[in-house]
Amino acid sequence: MSSKRTWFSSRSLLYVVALLIALYILVPIYLITISAFSPRNAVFDYPKPFFPKAFSVETLSFFLNSFGVLESVQMSIIVAILTLVLSLLIGAPAGYTLARYVFVGKDSYRLAILSTRAFPIVILAIPLAVTFIRWDLDDTAIGVALLHTAMALPTTILVTSSVFVSVSKELEEAAMVLGCSRFGAFRRVALPLALPGLAASAIFTFVLSWNEVFAAAILTLQNPTLPARLVVQLNQSPLPFKFAGGFFILVPAIVFMLFVRRYLFTLWGVKLK
Amino acid sequence: MRKKLILVALLLVLALVAVACQPQTVEVTRVVTQTETVEVTRVVTETIEVEGEPVVVTQVVVETVTVEVPAEQPDFGKVVILSTQGVPVEEAEKMRGIVLADFPGEPEFIGVEEPVLLDRVLAEAEAGEGSVDVVIALHGTFPTLQAADALMDLSDLAAELSDRGIPDAFMELGKLGTEDTQYYIPLMQATYIFAANKVALDYLPEGADPDALTWDDIYNWAQNIANETGENKLGFPAGDRGLMHRFLEGYIYPSFTGGMVSNFKSEEAVAMWEFMRNLWQYTNPQSTTYAFMQEQLLSEEVWVAFDHTARLKDAFEQRPDDFIALPSPTGPAGLGFMPVIVGVGIPKNAPNPEGAMEMIRYLLEDETQINILREIGFFPATGVEFPGFVSTGIRLEGEAVAKQAASPNALPALLPVGLGERGGEINKIYRDTFTRIILNGEDIPTVLEEEGAKLQALLEETGAPCWPPDPPSEGACQVR
Repeated sequence: MSSKRTWFSSRSLLYVVALLIALYILVPIYLITISAFSPRNAVFDYPKPFFPKAFSVETLSFFLNSFGVLESVQMSIIVAILTLVLSLLIGAPAGYTLARYVFVGKDSYRLAILSTRAFPIVILAIPLAVTFIRWDLDDTAIGVALLHTAMALPTTILVTSSVFVSVSKELEEAAMVLGCSRFGAFRRVALPLALPGLAASAIFTFVLSWNEVFAAAILTLQNPTLPARLVVQLNQSPLPFKFAGGFFILVPAIVFMLFVRRYLFTLWGVKLK
Repeated sequence: MRKKLILVALLLVLALVAVACQPQTVEVTRVVTQTETVEVTRVVTETIEVEGEPVVVTQVVVETVTVEVPAEQPDFGKVVILSTQGVPVEEAEKMRGIVLADFPGEPEFIGVEEPVLLDRVLAEAEAGEGSVDVVIALHGTFPTLQAADALMDLSDLAAELSDRGIPDAFMELGKLGTEDTQYYIPLMQATYIFAANKVALDYLPEGADPDALTWDDIYNWAQNIANETGENKLGFPAGDRGLMHRFLEGYIYPSFTGGMVSNFKSEEAVAMWEFMRNLWQYTNPQSTTYAFMQEQLLSEEVWVAFDHTARLKDAFEQRPDDFIALPSPTGPAGLGFMPVIVGVGIPKNAPNPEGAMEMIRYLLEDETQINILREIGFFPATGVEFPGFVSTGIRLEGEAVAKQAASPNALPALLPVGLGERGGEINKIYRDTFTRIILNGEDIPTVLEEEGAKLQALLEETGAPCWPPDPPSEGACQVR
């Protein structure tokens, strides 16, 4: 019994598990990366050598130079930023309200927010496209961003409300005692304290918009976002391009994660000071 | 400082919104006149003799002359093409860079999956405002668009193009069962064949002719390979994105039962499924993950594979000396095979119908048809002679395709017709039957009875009459 406890306390099991989890994520990434940088024929080698024998950026550069990829990256970034801004502009005040005020129908309101996720976008596709075409929103960044905002809002509202709950109400009251207006107290005290949490929820919104395929594919035609363009094309492309495309989608996500790591930890319950 | 930052950020966002909302203008410039009237000033110098002395007289004459403007390339403006074919990265690039490059205008080729194409064209039809000029899709996609009355009648264009050698039977398909409305014009065709690594030929059963195999030959072949190498080297595209249902609908069912749906649960069908079960022992079990057999052929994971010609093309292109193309095998009822027709149509509210018409004329030119074959592996719909213009790999495929179609006992099986929006459901029935019998090992007659009932219900609900190779029916097709 006691030897078992030493085994656990030595933490080696923990490290083994951590190592396994890390490998589970890293090995596929590694294989995708070496395949993306291999010449076309090498992709079909079986069994696959663990260290690549030849190096080539042929498929990757074909991919990058193929029609519209760079425009789509641009479109994706614009859409993601618009979505992020719109959903925070609408979602953060709603979250704040849920956190601070008691009002009639608060619980049903909270439920109603979630219910927007109950409508599958597939069913809404045609009516939505028809409306967007009539309103000239079709095939524009703002059109896609509006839809992504609608999809992101429930999460944004609920996350921001829990962020504001964790910011102590007394601090705001103290600010008001010392002469701040209601809005001033929010802006000078609550907002700065909630900022890391808000940033984390913004990141989720950004990632949601960055990865969303179906709505973007329906609502755009000549200016698709990156996933809308890629996922369709890659699904039907030969293996070397799948690796190149996979690599291309992976890298921004990894870089992005490295940057926002700190804020993500905040969201996962590290206490706000 | 912070205020300034916020201000800058806000401005940035506003600028983004402004950019995003910017209306997209489509400029259409067309040269209308072919002749022009110009005023010309001419200086005429004459020498006349006045009383023996030469006098030079200069006169300025103003004339109007009509000049033929040399055939300046007319510009048909922007033509937006929405296509479910030629979607993969490389193929789409070749469509843009080579196939469509000489079109007099500004073609925009957009590859999408079928549901997106349908949603887009239907939404535009309903909104009464279009942005798509040309639709390129499989025959089976068009009935849904026809049902929503979203397509233009192309009868005049069809008459104009009658000299291109498009088979009448194909043109007839483009009318989608109507008398005089041409919903699409056949653009290109493909089919499914077997491809084999030449190594596998050593294991061919004795006396078997690779150009006229029977299903029993295929079985013995796979068995020989398995016995001698210890590996199952026969492969089918039975993965999620594979086209296994076409194999069942258009190849093995017609070959054994003579029909696609009408003999679905007949005795012959039971015998066929027993054959499939035996064959599956020697089939690579990874088949349930395969989608594009060219990949497994190139990696030599399998030696013998069945798939769509466009999904085998890479193997023949990359290593033409290592692979051979084989016509589909013959069964007790004949050689079942499925010609795939890709058509081109114009949505009713296309913004640039003239450009769209010109695009169709352009696509059906000999040169474009050969380019399509060379670049994306679809065979011409017109009568153009192509063998001299394409690579060895494609010629190999082309020969197998031709042999298959010209076989004396050929049973061409059409893609399901008349099921409208529910065209995908029939594929599910065939795939479910396959999964239950072959993968789950369920009792054959029971499964055929149950799935046959679903098939019958589908046919009754849509009222679809039988289509070739099944004999024509009065009313909905009946499953026997």
